[in-house]
Formats: sequence, C-alpha cells, structure tokens
Amino acid sequence: MSGIMLSALPLAPILTPLGLGVLLLAPMRRGWQVAVALASAVLTLLFGLSLLGVTAGGAVLVSELGGWPAPFGIVMTADRLGSFMSVLAAGCGVFTVWLMAARPDPVREKHHSFALTSFLFAGVQLSFLTGDLFNLFVAFEVMLVASYALAVLGSTREQLREGFRYIVMNLSASALLVVACGLAYGTLGTLNFAHLAQRSAALGPNATVTAVGVLLLIVFAAKGALFPLGFWLPGTYPALPHATGAFFAAVLTKVGLYALIRVFTTVFNQDPDLPNTLLLILGAVTMLYGALGALSQREWRRILSFTVVGSVGYLAFGLGLGTPGALRASLAYLAVSVAVTLALFLIAAVAEQAGRSRLVRTRGFIDVLPLLAACFLLCALTVAGLPPTAGFVAKYGLVRAGLEQGSVLAGVAVGSALLSSLITLYALLNVWRGFFWGRRPRENPVGAVPWAERLPAYLASALVAALAVFAGPLLGYAGATADELKNNTRYILGVLGSRPVDLPARPKGDEVQQPKDGHTPLPEGPP
Amino acid sequence: MESLFAVLVGVLVAAGVFLLLSRTIIRVVLGLAFIAYGVNLAILTVAGLRDEAPPLLTLAGPYVDPLPQALVLTAIVIGFGTTALLLTVALRAYQVAGHDDVEAFGDGLARNPDAPDGQYADPEHLSPDQPEADHEARS
Repeated sequence: MSGIMLSALPLAPILTPLGLGVLLLAPMRRGWQVAVALASAVLTLLFGLSLLGVTAGGAVLVSELGGWPAPFGIVMTADRLGSFMSVLAAGCGVFTVWLMAARPDPVREKHHSFALTSFLFAGVQLSFLTGDLFNLFVAFEVMLVASYALAVLGSTREQLREGFRYIVMNLSASALLVVACGLAYGTLGTLNFAHLAQRSAALGPNATVTAVGVLLLIVFAAKGALFPLGFWLPGTYPALPHATGAFFAAVLTKVGLYALIRVFTTVFNQDPDLPNTLLLILGAVTMLYGALGALSQREWRRILSFTVVGSVGYLAFGLGLGTPGALRASLAYLAVSVAVTLALFLIAAVAEQAGRSRLVRTRGFIDVLPLLAACFLLCALTVAGLPPTAGFVAKYGLVRAGLEQGSVLAGVAVGSALLSSLITLYALLNVWRGFFWGRRPRENPVGAVPWAERLPAYLASALVAALAVFAGPLLGYAGATADELKNNTRYILGVLGSRPVDLPARPKGDEVQQPKDGHTPLPEGPP
Repeated sequence: MESLFAVLVGVLVAAGVFLLLSRTIIRVVLGLAFIAYGVNLAILTVAGLRDEAPPLLTLAGPYVDPLPQALVLTAIVIGFGTTALLLTVALRAYQVAGHDDVEAFGDGLARNPDAPDGQYADPEHLSPDQPEADHEARS
C-alpha cells in the first residue's frame, strides 16, 4: 500500500461507521437501512483486518489530522494492541447488526437505533485508535452518548430505571477523566500518549504522575466495571434489546480494560507498584463478586452479565501481575472473553425467545434445540476455563504467571481465580440443568425462532471453538503484543519520529506575529 | 488567583456531590452540571492564571497556554449534550411515574420479570403505566 493510504488507514475504521451512521439518519426503507448498517459494520471489520495485517510486523501507523505532526496535533495511532481491539469490536458489530436486522423492532428503528449503533461503533473504534489522552475522553463520550441513547431507547420502565443509573455513573466517571487529563497536562505539558511516555520517563518515578495514574485507574475501573464501581452493569445489560445488549456486554467493558492496559504499559510505566497492587486486589475481589453474583441470579442475561464482571476481574488480575507472561495471557483472555460473551448473549437471545421467558425456568430444551445446547456447553466450559477450550489455555497462562510472580497477593489472587472459576462453572451448569436438561413439560409451548436469529449464535460459538483450535497463533500474537507493550520505545519512535521533540521556548511577549494580510497588529496593552 | 480558583472548584464540586446524593432526579442532574463546571474551572487553572495575559499571539505578551482553553471548550460542549440527554431521560421518568423522586426508577433486583416492565413508551404513545388496551386504542 502506498504511503498516503497507510497514513489514512487508522482513520478508516472510525470514519466509516460515523459517515454511514449520519447517512442512516436519513429517512429510508428498512431494507436500505439494514443494508447500510451491515455495510458499515462489514467495512469497519475489513479496515480493522487490514490494520491488523499492516501492524502485524510491529509497524506503528500514524494519521496526523490536519497535517499537524505529533505531539502538537491530534494523531490516530494503530499499533498491534489497537488494531487487535479494533478487529474484535468490529467483529462483534457485524453480529449485532445481523441480529438487529433479523429481529425487526419498529419503535426503536423509527428512532434511529441503526444510526445510534453505527455511532457506537465509531466511538469504540475511536477509543481504540486514538493516540491522545484528551481524545480518549472525547471517544469515550461519543461511545457513551450513543450507548446512553440506546440504553433508554424505547423507554420501558426497566430501561429508564437502569439507564438513569448507567448515565449518572458514567457522567461522574467522565468528570474525573477530565480532571485527570487536566492534571496530566499540568504536570507533563502534553496529552499525546507517546509524548506523555517520553516525558514521564524523563521525569522518573514521580508522585504526581502516579497520582494521575491512580485517578485514571479509578475512571477506567468505573467504565470497565471493576468491583466497587461495577454495580450498574448487571442491571443495565439485561434491560437492553438482545442485539445491542450483546455488543454492550462483549465490547464496552473491554474498552475500559483497553484504556487501563494502554495507560499502565505504554504511558505511565515508571512506577508500577501502586497501580499493580490496586489492580490485583480489585481483580481478585471482582472475580469472586462476578462468580457469586452469577450464582445468585435466575434470569438468563443477569447470570451472563455477572460472568462479564468476572471476566473483567481476570483481566485486571493479569494486568496487575505486571510480568510479560501475565500480559500475554491477559491479551489472549481478552480475545476469548469478547468472543465467548458475544456467543453467550446471542445464545440467550435465542433461548429467551424459545422459552418465552427471561427466566431460566422451562427444562428439556435439548430435544428442541440440540445444536444450541452444544454451543452453550462449549461456551460454558470456555467461561469456566476447562479443557479443551480456549478459556482453559488463557486461564492456565494467567494462573501460571500468577504463581511465577510469587508474591503473597498474587497467590491470594490465584486462589480467588481458581475458586471463582469453579463457582462460575457451577452457576452455568445450573443454567444447563434448568434449561436444556431434563424432560420438557407438555403445557409449555416452544416459541418459534427463525434460522436467521439462530445462525449468529451458532457462528459466534464456532468462533469460540476456532479460538481453541488456533490458540497457538493467538498466543503468539498476544506474546508479540505484550513485548511491544513492555518496551514502549517502538511506539514512541513510531509516533514522534526518531528526532527528539524540541518544544519552542516559552514565549516572552516581544515576538508579536504580523498577520499575513498586511494589517498592523492591534494596539498593545489590555483592551 | 490560583488559590481562589482552587477554593471555587472545591465549592462547586462539593455542591455537586451534595446534589448528586439527593433523592430528587432534577437535583441529580443539576449536581452533575455543577461538577462539570468545577472540572472545567480546574482545567483552566492548570494552564496558569494571570491578568493581562491573553492566549492570542497577535497581541503583545505575556501569553497563557491556549490549549487548556480548547480542552475546556470541548468539555463544555460535551457536558451540554449529556446534560440535555439526561434531562430528557428525567422528563420521561417524570411522565411515566408522575413524580420526580428516584423512587420513580424503583429498586430493580427483586422484581417479577413477567410484569409489564418491557412495554414500549413511545413519545407518541401512552406511557408504560397505562394498560395494554389503551396502547392499542391509541395506535
């Protein structure tokens, strides 16, 4: 690919859903809407895959907006981690649009649910590909405003109740993110990730920088639903329609986790002790909270939402260990968790329709939907982390890295990880026993589920199975990404170039610029 | 100047948190707006505050850093949008419940999932509190 194409490529996955989303606001027939929304999702996936292909060799792609070079202008940056996340999110987007298309919802579609979903994709891609801390805040807001609207669209009573809680929680966290941006700028004088990394490295371990890092940890813990701040999650996701709920569950918490990984590996890696300890403690508690929560619920998607909380805990645990092996395992677990959450929520969409209830109540569906039962079993084993699934490979890596690290806290976290895997397995086998197993009562009719709605669940489960088969390449890619994250010089050089950035000296006031059109400058002194 | 602003930011955020903890929905919205203003002032303070120091290179200096002002502008616009959205949700909840206590949203964890919770409340249609028959009569 030529240089111009390469320099525009990191913008493509962001601008495609944004532009097509604006197009979707125009009144058009449902067929066209579906076509445009599907095109937006598929094109985003294709651009994401080409980003993955270009950055696989370790190249860092940079798009300078308006031609202003970093660190003065806003840049879009795609390295291995960014393009990896971009592909995962875009893949989930395709499934989401498919299920939305297969399940007509006239009220929500009249109020632009397709356009809002497309904007949501744009916000998610922007947060993965931005190279700027303040732009990350803007990306979060683009993503969250679309998600707020989707959360309350249709305004059922449940949606209003959970949506309000979700919005208030996220707005408070966003205010904290703005403060953290301001403090980072005040301390280090820049907001570009690469430049922040360079300057904080030049400054060495510094209490103010660590404080900014911990503030960011609180923000991203709230967005990613780590233990004390994740109370909004298990209520919000079941209130959504099935298709958007699947995307929320699979991707949105992972955006918070991505931001944590980016900030604590690429940017503020000078003084990792305090953030790592906090992450380990929060991760250990979150895992148990998710597992016990899943056990306590009786509704399909509430149980699954708590398993999402649990998976966030595992990722925080892996990130908190801080060794390259742990980082590698966490990245592999990230991919597995996105795929399996998507598959489970799509399975729940079919199961709730077939069982005509949100509760896991009617038994004996293995006779009606044998393939769905097989898919659910595979996904349940993946979430619990039993062989021969990809979940086992990733969790084995995490536990091994925890034992190798050897501190007492890591040992406690490993214990919590193993215990919560066991509890999660029990909770999901309860679902299996309550829905698929046993004899079906005659008086309960089975809701019809068309093939178009069942197929995404099967395909997503096939993806989970494929991750187990191709666990070797996945771990290889995760390992290369972890190496790149551990040593951030390549990222800094890729964004800032090989020359050191020389900031102009502080202006003294005697260098008044002449306007280009020949007018004399305004008279001196205060106006 | 900076200490004055620090106190001001503290007062704004404290008022915001106090309002946020209230049971009235509209106070929660106002509290979030207060917090947003406090945060914006905090960024402005980070740039350094000086009299007679415009962020314009066409005037005689000394200058302040103009970047935080651009950041504040972005934050204000985003805060405006989210506040508008939140107000819409609050209004909708008021229409549905008839009062603006957070009780309008209820405490959800022990509810009956088969209750008429999942009905549509389209602005053109009746609120979900109305019986199903009214929905059909209107549409």
